[in-house]
Amino acid sequence: MAPFDPRSLYEWLTDRVSPRTRRNLRSELDSSLLAKLGVGILIVVLVSAVFAPLIAPWNPTAQTLDDKQQPPLGFSRAETQVSQEMVDGEVQIVEETEYIDATVAHPLGTDALGQDMLSRVIYGARTSLLVGVLGTVLAMAIGVPIGLISGYYKGRVDDALMRIADVSLAFPSLVLAIALVGLFGQATVNVPDPFVTSGLSEFLRGLVSLPGGLSYPPGMPETFALPGTVILVVGIVNWVWFARVARGEALGVSEEEYVTASKALGGSNRYVIRRHILPNSVTPILVLATIQIAAIILLESSLSFLGFSGANLSWGFDIAAGREYQTTAWWIAAMPGLAIVITVIGVNLVGDWLRDALDPSIEGEGGGV
Amino acid sequence: MASFGRFLLRRTLQGALVVLGVITVLFVLRHVTPGSPVDFIAPLDANQETRRAIAEARGLNEPIYVQYVDYVLSLVQGEFGFAYRSSTAVRPRVFSKLPATLELAGAATIVAVVLSIPLGVLSATRRHEGPDYAATLFSLLGISTPNFWLGVMLVILFGVQFRIFPTSARPVGLIDAAGHLVTVSGGVGFPLDVAGFSDAFATWLRYITLPALTLGTYFTALITRLTRSGMLDQLGRSYVQAARAKGLPETRVRYHHVLRNTLIPIITVVGLQLGTLVGGAVITEQVFNWPGLGSLIIDAINARDWPLIQGSLVVVATGFVVVNIVVDALYARLNPQVMD
Amino acid sequence: MEDILRVEGLSTRFFTSDAQVNAVESVSFDVRAGEILGIVGESGSGKSVTALSLIDLVDSPGEVTAGQLWLRNPPLAESYPEAAHEDGEFVDLRELPDRTRRSLRGPTFSTIFQDPMSSFNPSLTVGEQIAEAVEVQRRASATPRSTRSRTDGYGLGSYLLDGIVPGRAYTDDASHERAVELLEQVGIPDPDERAREYPHEFSGGMLQRAMIAQALAGEPDVLIADEPTTALDVTIQAQILELLREIQADRDMSVVLITHDLGVIARMCDRVAVMYAGEIVERGTLGDVFDDPVHPYTQGLIGSIPDLDDPRPRLQPIEGNVPSLRADEMGDRGYFADRCPKAMEACLDPQTERSCDDPEHAARCVLADDAYDPATALPDDYFEEGSDD
Repeated sequence: MAPFDPRSLYEWLTDRVSPRTRRNLRSELDSSLLAKLGVGILIVVLVSAVFAPLIAPWNPTAQTLDDKQQPPLGFSRAETQVSQEMVDGEVQIVEETEYIDATVAHPLGTDALGQDMLSRVIYGARTSLLVGVLGTVLAMAIGVPIGLISGYYKGRVDDALMRIADVSLAFPSLVLAIALVGLFGQATVNVPDPFVTSGLSEFLRGLVSLPGGLSYPPGMPETFALPGTVILVVGIVNWVWFARVARGEALGVSEEEYVTASKALGGSNRYVIRRHILPNSVTPILVLATIQIAAIILLESSLSFLGFSGANLSWGFDIAAGREYQTTAWWIAAMPGLAIVITVIGVNLVGDWLRDALDPSIEGEGGGV
Repeated sequence: MASFGRFLLRRTLQGALVVLGVITVLFVLRHVTPGSPVDFIAPLDANQETRRAIAEARGLNEPIYVQYVDYVLSLVQGEFGFAYRSSTAVRPRVFSKLPATLELAGAATIVAVVLSIPLGVLSATRRHEGPDYAATLFSLLGISTPNFWLGVMLVILFGVQFRIFPTSARPVGLIDAAGHLVTVSGGVGFPLDVAGFSDAFATWLRYITLPALTLGTYFTALITRLTRSGMLDQLGRSYVQAARAKGLPETRVRYHHVLRNTLIPIITVVGLQLGTLVGGAVITEQVFNWPGLGSLIIDAINARDWPLIQGSLVVVATGFVVVNIVVDALYARLNPQVMD
Repeated sequence: MEDILRVEGLSTRFFTSDAQVNAVESVSFDVRAGEILGIVGESGSGKSVTALSLIDLVDSPGEVTAGQLWLRNPPLAESYPEAAHEDGEFVDLRELPDRTRRSLRGPTFSTIFQDPMSSFNPSLTVGEQIAEAVEVQRRASATPRSTRSRTDGYGLGSYLLDGIVPGRAYTDDASHERAVELLEQVGIPDPDERAREYPHEFSGGMLQRAMIAQALAGEPDVLIADEPTTALDVTIQAQILELLREIQADRDMSVVLITHDLGVIARMCDRVAVMYAGEIVERGTLGDVFDDPVHPYTQGLIGSIPDLDDPRPRLQPIEGNVPSLRADEMGDRGYFADRCPKAMEACLDPQTERSCDDPEHAARCVLADDAYDPATALPDDYFEEGSDD
């Protein structure tokens, strides 16, 4: 394979976006505060996910039982210890309340095993984004061709494919995902972390000195567990949404005169689909893809929460772990959940931005002159 | 309305086909997943002889198509078979869990519809004002919050910190509560045990509040968003100006004319999202130890108890199909153009 | 004939984020009882916005910014002395409370819109929509205006009750019967049957008839017809115009007929106002305007009508394009001067309306009472610099 050149990817992408579309995207971004917020959030989450070993203050899996259940900054935790003491010859039960304060070392607190919540939240972004993006790509790869074929050929093919889609819809996606993961097992792939195996993270972390004489503790996880089954399953479960949208677009576009013209000129069906139908369906599919990334991030966290994921560095997994300490250490469940909410808000805002900028049927609300 | 009858018949036949598809998919899944059913049924120390007997008794030695036909026929007759583990009949187990899930989904739907539509209308008609910003913020938060986390947070806040609502279980069901209004002989007798009923109902309400909020928030947010954007789209149409020009009160323009047309696409989306509602119910039941179908499904999957998995999923899918037919009928009633 | 509506100096502007558009600029005209007044102009000349300004339905970001809309209505003048004219006969609509203005829609002003297909609600039967208009009229005449609440006595509570309580629906059997009657009056066959059908089951012409029926339900004093035939086939257009004429004569209503079609004007109207770039450039009786136009724009319009008897082989088009109406681009320049073949130095100042010899006939043009003076004529390329875009 040729070496990857980011510039060629950028050119490939911009070649496919018309100047008008670029202008619309630009002006919508300029005028909408929410769109800027969404893009900002996504950048932060993306950077956290990619450079987790460089950013996370601690090894997210390092257990320090002495520091367990430390509260996040701004809070303290009361721990009541009950002991029996002899006072004046009588046994008395003495309750001693000790207040545990937050420390700067663990700004979001620690969990029941003394693992740093901030580091776990940063690493959790990897699982969420990887599953969200790869799952969406897979769903798109299955759904879009089916939808295009269904909408282009119409008739029997369409009927058959749409009945299959109906069957797929009749299974709630979470239930189907649980069933598939539960029945086929939770295979995870351990991907080596290039920042750690190359020694880069160790080197860079050594350079940074923190105020107060603290230094970055060394030793980050060398591999990263990619929940393989989950990615496959969320892709399979969500194909039907892409199929529906692609079909709707294909139905509309295939009625257009230029498609008839192209066929009259002897264009093969494959050619017409590739040349006319697909390019005209790109915008709604792109908008749907953003919505699906958000949906799949939520689905992944649900699966992890229910213990059907296999990933142990995942926001949903930590929320499930935090449930057991809901009476004493609320932050264990709260922090990863906030991370999910913020990430999904970011994705949804970007989705709104794309929709408002690209979809002319949603524009033009209200009366004009 | 002959065409409406034909429409309904066509949709029912399509629905039956979908249910058959679901049954088939489950059959295929059962046969491609690793592990023989005998492993799950037989005791660990069973010898070959016993295992063969079990396979024989459960019809596992028949050719695959015979097994398929048997399986479809028995499901169609309402025979769901026996669970592997406990050898109890599947059907009563599934149906005994159904009311809890239906109550939860129903309560969440009511919460969602009652809150979201006025909120969406308010948001659209007072665009770029305080209520609009509040509703937009709420709906953005609502569609971005995983419901299980919301549930856990509600438990921490209202169950642990303030102790306002109970955090788990379902001591009474609606049917139990209604039981107070019925005498032992089955008829409605006098004097009615109204006090008993209202006590039981209040308990039910207290226990279902947090789960229903947990499950309903996403839908409230989703429908608010859809109502807002749909209303904004419709408010710009000429018929709205024409309705105002003939002097109709604004309330009637908004609700009778605009909202009616806004609801048409919303109904479709909500019908499609019912699967999400069931999925949400499954996970909400886990958070609140709500003894419904969701817990049963998860247990069945963990135990790989196929008759139980099939039974509960067929019931879920059938429910989905039936509700979608109702949604389509409603859609056809609201949108006269769909009938031609 | 007496005036029933006098519009004086009406201006309507649209304020978008990057521009101010002066859609209607200082427009004055009057409507007399029992007449058909035509307002003619190209698209974008502000004629529809003028109509919407009358019934207070200019959508945001538009706003009526100046002018008086005097309606002859002595009872209203008595109820709202602060809005009344000193003669006690007229009230200024702009000074009335919103709810009172709303209550005039239907009973005082009914409107027929351009495209019947999009002006009916697609999901309600035609009969119900007409019955609603009947109901508006019935309630308006039954309830004294002063007792009305903010929602005209019809809030969300009433709406919900109407839907739930049997026999409390907004429209009742009587209003439905009246709707069928009205459909019959506008020449729709099988009105009973058609009333139960939805808009998409009607043809364009039939639906425009239904819209006229709906407008008649309010028994209006003034019927505003905004391009009532533009969306229709030519053969249907003639029928609809004929119908409008008949009902106008039968009921002795006033009609404000808005159109871009001079043929329609010639055929229907008693008096005419010609609009250009948000202004009325000329108004007068049909004869004045058609036979003796003063303003070069009117002359151009009349000149562009094909005339079989005219020996000249070619039509006379008006050179140039309609201006943009954006305040920042137009400045003080006389609107038509840049296209006018007879532009003079005097035209560079904003023009006020001037009467011609005939008191009915007025034009916003120097030529109304002055002769063309070639000595001060502007050179042909006078407007070309600076008008690049």
